[in-house]
Amino acid sequence: MSIDGELPKRQLAQARLGNRRGAVMEFSAADTCLDIQGLTLAYGGKTALKDLTLRIPRHRVTAFIGPSGCGKSTLLRALNRLHDLNEDVSRHGQIHLDGHDIHDPRVAVAELRRRVGMVFQAPNPFPMSIYDNVAFGLRLQGGLSKRRIDDVVEWALKSAALWDEVKGRLRASAWSLSGGQQQRLVIARTLAVEPEVLLLDEPASALDPISTLKIEELIRTLKPHLTLVLVTHNMQQAARVSDYTAFLHNGELVEYGPTDTLFTHPRLRRTENYITGRMVG
Amino acid sequence: MKIPGHTAVGMPGKRRTREGPLAWLAAASVALSLIMLGALLVLLSVKGLSNFWPATVHQLTLKGGETVIGVPLETRELPSRQGLERRYLTANRDDGGGIWRWLANDQITEDTTPEDLVVLERRHWGTFFGRLVALQSGDQRLTGPDAWTVLESRLKEINALRDERRRLTHDEILPLIRSMEDQDGHRSEDRRLADLQRRASELQQRMQGDLVVLENGQGRRQEQALAEILEAWRPNAMAWHEKLGHWVRELWQFLSQGPRDANTAGGVWPAIFGTILMVLLMSILVTPFGVLAAVYLNEVAHQGRLTRLVRIGVRNLAGVPSIVYGVFGLGVFVYGIGGSIDRWFFESTLPSPTFGTGGLLWASLTLALLTLPVVIVATEEGLSRIPLHQREGALALGATRFETLTRVVLPMATPAMLTGLILAVARAAGEVAPLMLVGVAKLAPQVPLDGEFPFLHLERKFMHLGYHIYDAAFHSSDVQAAMPLVYATALLLVTVILVLNLTAIFMRHYLRKRHGAPVRR
Amino acid sequence: MDITSDTHSQHISRQFNHELEELKTHLMAMGGLVEKQVQDAVSSLLDADSALASRVVDNDRAVNDMQVKIDDECTRVLARRQPAASDLRLVLAVIRAASDLERIGDEASKIARNAIELVDGNNGTRGFVEVRNISEHVRHMMRDALTSFARFDTELAMQVVQEDERVDSEYQSAMRSLMTFMMEDARSISPVLGIMWILRALERVGDHANNLAEYVIYLVKGLDIRHIDPDDLNQELLDDSSTS
Repeated sequence: MSIDGELPKRQLAQARLGNRRGAVMEFSAADTCLDIQGLTLAYGGKTALKDLTLRIPRHRVTAFIGPSGCGKSTLLRALNRLHDLNEDVSRHGQIHLDGHDIHDPRVAVAELRRRVGMVFQAPNPFPMSIYDNVAFGLRLQGGLSKRRIDDVVEWALKSAALWDEVKGRLRASAWSLSGGQQQRLVIARTLAVEPEVLLLDEPASALDPISTLKIEELIRTLKPHLTLVLVTHNMQQAARVSDYTAFLHNGELVEYGPTDTLFTHPRLRRTENYITGRMVG
Repeated sequence: MKIPGHTAVGMPGKRRTREGPLAWLAAASVALSLIMLGALLVLLSVKGLSNFWPATVHQLTLKGGETVIGVPLETRELPSRQGLERRYLTANRDDGGGIWRWLANDQITEDTTPEDLVVLERRHWGTFFGRLVALQSGDQRLTGPDAWTVLESRLKEINALRDERRRLTHDEILPLIRSMEDQDGHRSEDRRLADLQRRASELQQRMQGDLVVLENGQGRRQEQALAEILEAWRPNAMAWHEKLGHWVRELWQFLSQGPRDANTAGGVWPAIFGTILMVLLMSILVTPFGVLAAVYLNEVAHQGRLTRLVRIGVRNLAGVPSIVYGVFGLGVFVYGIGGSIDRWFFESTLPSPTFGTGGLLWASLTLALLTLPVVIVATEEGLSRIPLHQREGALALGATRFETLTRVVLPMATPAMLTGLILAVARAAGEVAPLMLVGVAKLAPQVPLDGEFPFLHLERKFMHLGYHIYDAAFHSSDVQAAMPLVYATALLLVTVILVLNLTAIFMRHYLRKRHGAPVRR
Repeated sequence: MDITSDTHSQHISRQFNHELEELKTHLMAMGGLVEKQVQDAVSSLLDADSALASRVVDNDRAVNDMQVKIDDECTRVLARRQPAASDLRLVLAVIRAASDLERIGDEASKIARNAIELVDGNNGTRGFVEVRNISEHVRHMMRDALTSFARFDTELAMQVVQEDERVDSEYQSAMRSLMTFMMEDARSISPVLGIMWILRALERVGDHANNLAEYVIYLVKGLDIRHIDPDDLNQELLDDSSTS
């Protein structure tokens, strides 16, 4: 066998093998919604995130997994600057949303948070009617007619797959809903202000399996319109709903890649150990 | 499965017996509190409300042949010999001083309840027990049963005239005089005043003229102007439903009329009104202050050492004796601020003070200061109880911190604020000591709210139920005679506080339902 | 990342460790049984022992039962543990390996049945040399494949994959020489056809052993090398692509 013939054949085999390893990070810079560059975050002297760099693709579901205290929630809250509320937070590095630095002093934090909506672990509807909950964000913006608000409320509740269950009792207290319905109400409330990104902080951890599946199905239907970032303890959930998964440990990004690859043959032992239920070490 | 060393659930083991005494102690404490509360209410109700019941009047013949008319009260052992003696309310203060008499049971030879005995409620000298002999109306002289019938109808007329005259004096003459004081007299007003005064004296004339001839127990006769008599009844001749009607009427008069006879008789209306008005004013003053202070401490201020120090200070303020607040109110509000206001705005009336003396405003302010810590602490408690994720939920929707506070946090904390207000009201309504220094009056027949501009008279002194009790119990000429009134007023004070509290509790309940707050308290 | 043979015993859940360990043990037991079946089948022919051959045919049921048992266990692990990554690959590899071992078992009983006919026919020893050679080779491959599975040894597995090529060529040359016999002597057609069936079965056994080796590489490296020319594969290439 000549050397000339061997090389292309090897490359071919290599390419075929590469394909079989599963998908790689295949989105371009233009498809990047959130671009996190060298983000380091410390609370009161304790470093929560260490030099994180990752890009989150547009209109996809990206999941952050990792053990408790690994910094995944902190990272999520950094994306809409909710950590601004804490005192003595120090930050290095940048986060760009559609190419714009979110820490730019010209950025209005309230407007950023409208664009980057967030749903929390425990359903937290406000103590008002279902309608008022969804209209809350709209009324903050002001200047909307009653009819316009009605329309948006209906649209948001439909988008959150809750309309059919509550359309007859929009004036009832939001706290009369079940846990799963409350969580979908919170999602509807967030959708009503038309965010570009939806951050979900363990959105189903307080719900029963059926409600969880409804939330997961909702995430899937929202994907064509929104960039979704999901923090979850439930690895099966990350595997079910996400397109990309990032594994964080001790504030570091250990491995980030397509969910298919990460859950069948992760590159690193720490990831493997975590997703298969071993001590991460 | 049996785990060694563990007692299975539901088995009578050590746990239950250890829990026993504590549960019993706790239950006993609750029971004791309830019993004491119940006893208090029963005592106040019985002693207070029975005062208005038309008690049967007895006519007693004593061994010496003396006749006594009176209402039997409590009995006791004779101090010197065997036997019992009983206290009788004999009234007729003008008849020789005392209105009580202790009579040994064995002294009494005859005890009857004749139907013709009358009880008269008089403007002066208190109650009269005796018989109606005759009624002299102009030249006419009536005796026998006719006299009683005419007396009753005449009394109604006279009472109507008296009401009319009071209205004339209070609502027309006095305001006119005050306005004339303010702006030097006008001829037309002078004429009007003269006219009014003429009408008043005319009414007075019409009331007078009639005389009644009365006979007391000893058979001594006396004449009395009918205008002096407020009410007359014959308790022994009354059926039970008439007595009930009389009782309701008396109770209503107690609630709706002003005091008479140096606060030992008559009603307490100005005191009720003063108490409620003062408490409402205090609530209006203390709520915004307390809420804003709590919001600052809990939401705005940096949670550092200074904030902690302030918080401790506020909590300790709640423990300062109320009389100290009274002294503070007197020094700062009355003499300091009030004095300055007088110098700047009411120079014309000096040296007689307008705001520079105790008044409704200063009393309310003092009590507001007194109850401020309660409101702050309760509101802060409520604010800190609102879960973080509720605030974050609002912030994540693009609300600013201020919007989060006003639209989510404060509405959710309203029940807590009302709890604070309830506690404040309960404390303020019962507070007497500081009020004596900053504005309460022994007698202020004019309520501080009337039809005269500016309608609410913040500078006026006012009457207060608590002080009324104090005054009647310690400062009246005959303390024992005033005791029923003290009980009735005390019962009323408790009722007023209860009503104020219930109002706030219902408001809180309504708000909690509207906001669907999960916190139970 | 590559895994090692003790990777599956490091879970926080010791029960899970135990379940995976059982899977491997049962697969190895099945491998041992199948290996013995092949050896016995070949020996029965070479030693003209038709009783042994009948035992091999009977024993095939035991092999089938073991496959069913292993499949059951795998289903249980999948349903109850929802394994991911290396655990998932282990379960998949065990299912597939069990299936291949069962096929090998079938081939062994096929050999034994042909052996019975040949021994009963008393047709001499024509073709026995080829059978002995290829069977040696194939049994060696099987042993190596099972060993590589037991040790998670990809180097050994790669050797098996490459060995299969040689077995294939040996089989081709053996077939050619047997064809020559048949053309020379028409009477030998029937017994030689029997030998040819046996050789074909042995070649199949080699293919299944090759599959086993491929599963080992999938299990350890997460890399599916089926249907790729083994000439193009070598250790460095595998290592290269596992870190790319």
